[in-house]
Amino acid sequence: MVRSACLSALLAVSLAVGGCASASRDLAQRAAEEFEAAVASGRPERVCELLTERAREGVDCSSLELPRGEVREVVVWGDAARVRTDDDTLFLRELSSGWRVSGAGCHAVHDRPYECEVGGP
Amino acid sequence: MRRFLRDNGLGLAFGSIFLVSLVGQAFSGNSVLNDRRLTDGGDTIGLWQYVTSSEFAVDVAENWQSEYLQFFLFIFATVWLMQRGSPESKPARRLGAESDEEQSLGAHATAGSPPWARAGGWRTALYSNSLGLAMLVLFLASWFTQSVAGRSAYNNERLVDFQDPVSWGEYVLSADFWNRSLQNWQSEFLAIGSMAVLSVYLRQRGSPESKPVGTPHDTTDEAG
Repeated sequence: MVRSACLSALLAVSLAVGGCASASRDLAQRAAEEFEAAVASGRPERVCELLTERAREGVDCSSLELPRGEVREVVVWGDAARVRTDDDTLFLRELSSGWRVSGAGCHAVHDRPYECEVGGP
Repeated sequence: MRRFLRDNGLGLAFGSIFLVSLVGQAFSGNSVLNDRRLTDGGDTIGLWQYVTSSEFAVDVAENWQSEYLQFFLFIFATVWLMQRGSPESKPARRLGAESDEEQSLGAHATAGSPPWARAGGWRTALYSNSLGLAMLVLFLASWFTQSVAGRSAYNNERLVDFQDPVSWGEYVLSADFWNRSLQNWQSEFLAIGSMAVLSVYLRQRGSPESKPVGTPHDTTDEAG
């Protein structure tokens, strides 16, 4: 009986993780939208702030050109998210400073990780 | 109190080392996950956040399901299969579900028999298989939990690696799900098989899992 209760708790935890992901969705979407807006309006400091440290490497934040569009889909699993807009796919990580873009201008490659113009694998 | 402790020593001892092991797993698992997160550009998380994460849940559930599968299969297999000379096995003449008289069922129930052993019909049929069925239910519940939590942890890894997440259906057909399941199953089956065969020839004085030390190798179904 005790083990059965533990299993129920474990299942509840698993489902709660899914619930937390849905709560994070808005924040991830907002970060993606803010990033694209900063790129479009030419605010390099904000662009760089919204990138993860790794994605910033070798990137000139003042000369980025990325397609901008309405957010169509946000998927969050744990501390990682994928945001799809009309013309772009972005990947984000949740850090202590908030959601940050780890890859932008990404396109799918069959059976392999996405390739990204900014950041990426 | 002392008598309670003596009468429940096995349950209490294993319950205690289970909890200690689970706490140890939480600390070490948190450390492993934090190492991985730092390597892949993420942030570390605290112990509480880790024990409520899908990573911890899948690591716990994948081991639980295999333990319950092991007991479920062992309980049902030993009704029909035997290992000559093993204290875990019945002798050939008792293979099968056995008679109502041998099992103290219905009219053969004794004063201390559980009520459902005497009741007859579906209640006796259900109670007659309740131990194995309980293990089966716990196995299925743990395995399902593994699939849900495992998918969550797997999808997190995929997004971190710039790959698309998968559905639950895709996950339960994935190599990750079956690798987690089978690596646990093979170790459980090996342990059960080893126990059944080694207990024919080896002894542990005083243990009911062993035959008495002086018992011949070909004596089956005797505990010491």
